[in-house]
Amino acid sequence: MCAMASYETKTRRFSRAEYERLIDLGVFQPGEPIELIGGELMVAEPQGVAHYTAIVKTARALEAAFGPGWHARTQGPIGLDDDSEPEPDVAVVPGGPEDYSRAHPSRPVLTVEAAESSLGVDRERKGSLYARAGLEDYWVLNLVDRVLEVYREPAPDSAAPFGWRYTRREVFDASARVTPLAAPGSSIPVSRLLP
Amino acid sequence: MTQAERPVLRWWSRHEYARLIDRGFLDEDDPIELLDGLLLVKEPQRSPRRTAVLLVAKALERAFGEGWFVQTQSPIILDDRSEPEPDVCVVRGSPRDYVDAHPTHPALVVEVAQSGLRLARGRKAAAYARARIADYWIVSLVDRVLEVHREPARPGPARRHWGYAAIETLGADATITPLSAPSAGIRVADLLP
Repeated sequence: MCAMASYETKTRRFSRAEYERLIDLGVFQPGEPIELIGGELMVAEPQGVAHYTAIVKTARALEAAFGPGWHARTQGPIGLDDDSEPEPDVAVVPGGPEDYSRAHPSRPVLTVEAAESSLGVDRERKGSLYARAGLEDYWVLNLVDRVLEVYREPAPDSAAPFGWRYTRREVFDASARVTPLAAPGSSIPVSRLLP
Repeated sequence: MTQAERPVLRWWSRHEYARLIDRGFLDEDDPIELLDGLLLVKEPQRSPRRTAVLLVAKALERAFGEGWFVQTQSPIILDDRSEPEPDVCVVRGSPRDYVDAHPTHPALVVEVAQSGLRLARGRKAAAYARARIADYWIVSLVDRVLEVHREPARPGPARRHWGYAAIETLGADATITPLSAPSAGIRVADLLP
């Protein structure tokens, strides 16, 4: 199937409203790992043990760093734009879970994807999508090289998949410490995020 | 890193596709067809294309005669993930034979292609070959020719995907005989708008 995708095809796009209707209609299997990315229904990376461990560790470390008044959502939907509802591995949003009982959050202050096989998609495609939405702080926890890639300063770039990209990229290894933009007083050892 | 990796699209089964229509999410008239699990947007019906579809249907009805019928832009079933709507296809029997289920093995499938030429030669040819459709024609409005694809061939050292081993391109002055209507002769000029 993957190789076949090289043919030129135009597939039916979905708006976020249509996607939510599909969910309400019960069209998808419960717990099916899909996300709406720029109008396309994408299958998310299968959950390996390292991937899952990274998500739990990252969520814990970020909740400790941000403290009260924030919480870390794991693989929860983000109402990003009219044709995107991604489910980032970890997203830090203001308030508590009860603040989002009627609508998904739309602007996390920090978005993290843990990546093994999805590294290219997370860097390029999701990076461009998050940059277009103006998300200021995007981290790719690269499980292949065991480093944290920090992406900041979104700017337009017509060559990027969604017309935007992050202009600053910093790479931190396991021995480094990192400070989220929205929690300037904190300092998190990268080793606390890695599985 | 220069070429962005493509995401893996969620594929749809034929059963799920039917549910999208039953629940009113998709309309039966939506220009969508299911091919290899993808909901493909069909090529727009501009007038030369519409004219070619009607010409092909008329020529094939005459060539095949009794015991067959011709359907235009109607679904056929290829496999669990494919329910395309070829521009024209010739099916054995009468429309009443298919009250309960779409036809599965047309004797001849024809696509009329303008902007969809690559799709018709690529993914669609692969799907039809895989379903062992013996006779597949593409009316190319770009070059004003008829491409006749025959002899479905499985992937192997010589080819990455299913495809047709014998492909012949015929100009307007040529004549073509469908595999399943061996005594008929159709002028390619009669198929072109």
